[in-house]
Amino acid sequence: MKNSFDEKILEEALDWIEASQKVVLATVIQTWGSSPRQVGSRMIVNEKGDFSGSVSGGCVESAVVRECMDLIKDNKPCKKIEFKVSNESAWEVGLACGGEIAVYLEQVN
Amino acid sequence: MKLQTLKSIIEKKKNKSEFAIITNLSTGESELFEKNKPLSKEMEAYSNKINEFFKNKKNGVIENSEIFIETYVLPIKVIVVGAVHIAQYLVDYAKNLNFEITIIDPRGYFASEQRFPDMKIINKWPDEAFKEIETNENTALIALTHDPKIDDPALQHALKKKFYFIGALGSKKTHENRCQRLKDSGFSEKEINSIHGPIGIKLGGKSAPEIALSIIAQLVAETYIK
Repeated sequence: MKNSFDEKILEEALDWIEASQKVVLATVIQTWGSSPRQVGSRMIVNEKGDFSGSVSGGCVESAVVRECMDLIKDNKPCKKIEFKVSNESAWEVGLACGGEIAVYLEQVN
Repeated sequence: MKLQTLKSIIEKKKNKSEFAIITNLSTGESELFEKNKPLSKEMEAYSNKINEFFKNKKNGVIENSEIFIETYVLPIKVIVVGAVHIAQYLVDYAKNLNFEITIIDPRGYFASEQRFPDMKIINKWPDEAFKEIETNENTALIALTHDPKIDDPALQHALKKKFYFIGALGSKKTHENRCQRLKDSGFSEKEINSIHGPIGIKLGGKSAPEIALSIIAQLVAETYIK
């Protein structure tokens, strides 16, 4: 069983757009190894960096927000980004759980 | 994604129809897939794969391609018999889960719009009410009245239709009596034992919201076992 209907992220995206905000959808499209959220999980980001939903357990969201804001600034339609295992000794963004994920960013227009 | 596509997705979710979003990752173009609806020329080449993902209710990227599929499946139907205090909390919890709830209660003063705003309520006896709802092995029953006149016919219907989850509120003694009545009506021991009675996982709580939480927790657990 999959719970696509339970999350109201896309509904929220439409609310944001109707409030004249620019919105990027960020969707988990592939996972390898152990990853916190399944394929299809989604977050939305606006031009100010406000976000809702999630693509991990809080591990990579900050990087996704930055990438989404850049996408809006550069007015690009879409982009794919990948996150790998983080190095515990470095302050870098990654997945502490040891998994890998690919996240797809797309502007709604 | 086009704004128009986003709007159609939300509309389809609202109408509880099954569909998939097909996205070309290299262009960012997306379209909606539905059973028996032709795909665009661009996606036709992937139609077998898309159907496979859709049938298996899976999300993912088609191998060696830039096509991503996200399927939306129907929520699970949950029939709550008894528009009682616990049901009010159950409905509240279920709002954030993938359940579509229908409440049955022949007692009008319980099953009121005021007590259950925006809920599907059938103000009839279970035998009559079930004529209005399509049920199958993907349906769950939560019987809350512990009144045999109301609960028993619903339990019998659920057993006959092989609901994947059947639970009934009531003490151990109430449940023993209930099992005996079902046995007298010709149900097998295996069928009767499939009923969760007393319903809910052991949380220890006694208030209405606590009991509702224990019931919804058991329902979610059984849904994933299914």
